Amino acid sequence: MDFAQADSAHETRELTVVSWGGAYTRSQIRGFVRRFERERGIDVEMIDYTGGIEEIRSQVRSWNVKWDVVDFELFDAVRACEEGLLVEIDPASLPPAPDGTSAERDFLDGSLLPCAVGNIAAATVIAYDPEAVERAPRSLKDFFDMRRFPGHRGLRRTPKTNLEWALIADGVKPDRVYSVLDTDEGVDRAFRTLDRIKPAIRWWDHGEDALRLLDTGQVAMTSAYNGRVDIANAEGASYEILWDNHVRFRDAWGILRNGENIEAALDFIRFASTTESLAEQAKFISYGPLRRSSLENLPADLLTRLPTSADNLPRGFDTDAAWWSDHIQDLQVRFDHWVERSFQVPRDWPSR
Amino acid sequence: MNLRTFAIALPLIMLPVQAVGDDADIDALVAELEQVKGRLSELEQLRQRVRTLEARLEEANRAAASDQMDKRDAALARASTASEPEPPAIDIGGALRFTTFANGSVKGQRGKSGLDLFRLSADGSIDNILLSAEYRFYPFMDVLHHGWLGYKFDNESQLQAGITRVPFGILPYAAHNFWFGVPYYLGLSDDYDLGVKYVLPNGPWNMQLAYFKNSELSNSGDLGRYSYDVVSAGTARNEETNQFNGRVAYTFGSGTTCSHEVGISGQWSELYNLDTNKRGEMWAAATHLDTRCGRWNFQLEAARYEHNPVNPTGIPRNRIELGAFESLYDIAPSGTVGIANIAYNFPLSGDILDQLTCYNDFSVLYKDGGGDDSILNTTGCAIGVGPLFIYADLINANNMVFFGNGSLANDGEDDWDTRLNLNVGYYW
Repeated sequence: MDFAQADSAHETRELTVVSWGGAYTRSQIRGFVRRFERERGIDVEMIDYTGGIEEIRSQVRSWNVKWDVVDFELFDAVRACEEGLLVEIDPASLPPAPDGTSAERDFLDGSLLPCAVGNIAAATVIAYDPEAVERAPRSLKDFFDMRRFPGHRGLRRTPKTNLEWALIADGVKPDRVYSVLDTDEGVDRAFRTLDRIKPAIRWWDHGEDALRLLDTGQVAMTSAYNGRVDIANAEGASYEILWDNHVRFRDAWGILRNGENIEAALDFIRFASTTESLAEQAKFISYGPLRRSSLENLPADLLTRLPTSADNLPRGFDTDAAWWSDHIQDLQVRFDHWVERSFQVPRDWPSR
Repeated sequence: MNLRTFAIALPLIMLPVQAVGDDADIDALVAELEQVKGRLSELEQLRQRVRTLEARLEEANRAAASDQMDKRDAALARASTASEPEPPAIDIGGALRFTTFANGSVKGQRGKSGLDLFRLSADGSIDNILLSAEYRFYPFMDVLHHGWLGYKFDNESQLQAGITRVPFGILPYAAHNFWFGVPYYLGLSDDYDLGVKYVLPNGPWNMQLAYFKNSELSNSGDLGRYSYDVVSAGTARNEETNQFNGRVAYTFGSGTTCSHEVGISGQWSELYNLDTNKRGEMWAAATHLDTRCGRWNFQLEAARYEHNPVNPTGIPRNRIELGAFESLYDIAPSGTVGIANIAYNFPLSGDILDQLTCYNDFSVLYKDGGGDDSILNTTGCAIGVGPLFIYADLINANNMVFFGNGSLANDGEDDWDTRLNLNVGYYW
């Protein structure tokens, strides 16, 4: 990149921002994207994706960067940063809280990485339609109990969270999950537990798809993001959330290296990271903003629905982003193999 | 307190002054305040500008350092990411298979190896229009295995027209092994005919209704076909026509690790005799159970069939001529068929094998009108390794066509024969 290119950032008229689609993207658009477009005169094109850094790696290495800003899962941001795919972001350049508290002090611990700025804390929970199940599940173990709780299960097609849940359902304490997963025996044990429900699993990729599985009655219960379940309920559904052993995770903004709109992208992240922007977004989806000053502005009823509320917090645990950053590559390969291999005797073999 | 906070706070600090001053003082103060706010805003913008330029300089230095390395593969990578093609709506597939077998009853030459087939297939949909076709090249014949066009309705039901699978008994296959079981050799399994079929899945129910004008080839004397039909290539000269099929299945325990499909099937068709120009008939009925419990699969089927052709005088009615694969043999005109299959799908954790399923398939024909039963028992494994799919089968047959002097008609001999078969296919 040279200065001629950098200067062209001032001419940026369109910025491509990649996020997770559905209600989540909507909350960002209503929370701050529209306002950014109005105030900066820049059009923001929102694109959906399903995570991972393969596409990012490809764009950055080819200098053919089409995505300016990406809303990462934290562990992907860690990986992308370590691989040098992201622009470094100086925390001091982020806007302070309204009372002048610096961003470094205002953001929750662990939310600011060398090249990513945390935005929300969410949780993967179990959701079900109480009218569609004979008996309401009470714990994560019930999700893995096909005999007492028959019906299809929805799960995101990723080893993340699924392996942790499988071990907990098999008796491992949540605080020991990652040390057990550190061993081959532990990983085998997790896959064996997942085997129990494999024939009944319906996989989803986009967060919105999990709700669709419930809407269409394809599953009895599914993993889902808590904010999306809340929104579905606000729109007329009556799904229940099982908070037992929910897995909390964070998202973070990052900027792809070698792009042409880095200045505008930095400006976007600063804008999206203000106390006001984060608090505004939370009004449209019940994910916890990662700034203390934003949390202070949230209405009381919303605070009770966040994964970090006093009621919910002790019932779940935080995903270990650093652990997943180190292990996702190997485990994803094994997981994909496991998914592709039929558990039951296959019905459709190559015709003879 | 930073500049921005100060700018916000200043008007609030000044409020008490505004409350006690006279109008002229207030106006002056407001004007002065506006000036201060303007200056503060300019300073804030300048500060941001300095930081922006610093960040840009740092980024430019870093990019310049790595520019040399990144540009090397830039062109190649850009070419791969510039235009991602849309996935095709119609999948083109195929297979190349080789087979080898050792026959226990043949002295001298104990086995043969060679090309089994090369085939091409097309499957997919464009909007609601469905397509499925497969053409096969065997060393001794080439044939359209199946080929149909269909329409998918909003309720997930579909109508297929063309050469399509006859809905009868356990589907899609009433066996796990490569050579199937007795029903296939009676034309009661994996049979394809020309007609229309309506498939209606509805929750645990699956209903299929079909009408077939005739078997898959218009020439009933042509033996170059994949599935076994009544053919006119022998002495009796009968052909299948106006065939009706109905099959209803119900699955218990769907969405659990143990599901059980039970079903009944019925088939009726005319047997048109080319010499007498008269129409006889054929019927068959079956009931089945297909259980998938964990890694186990159990299949049971009982079927009954009967042929009543109207042959010319002098042509016996106690033999029905079936043909396919350029061969012709007789079967008993009526009988009862039984199937009992078991299979287990092994768990795999390594990177090499994708599937290892071992099985034992048993099938038997009890013939009306005498003759020894025809029995097939096959023990084997199906092994998936990437695009390779391998069947390793040990076949034990008693009085079975293609095995020694065995026969599916009311004759043959009560003698066991063994064949070891290995079929290796590359599928894409």
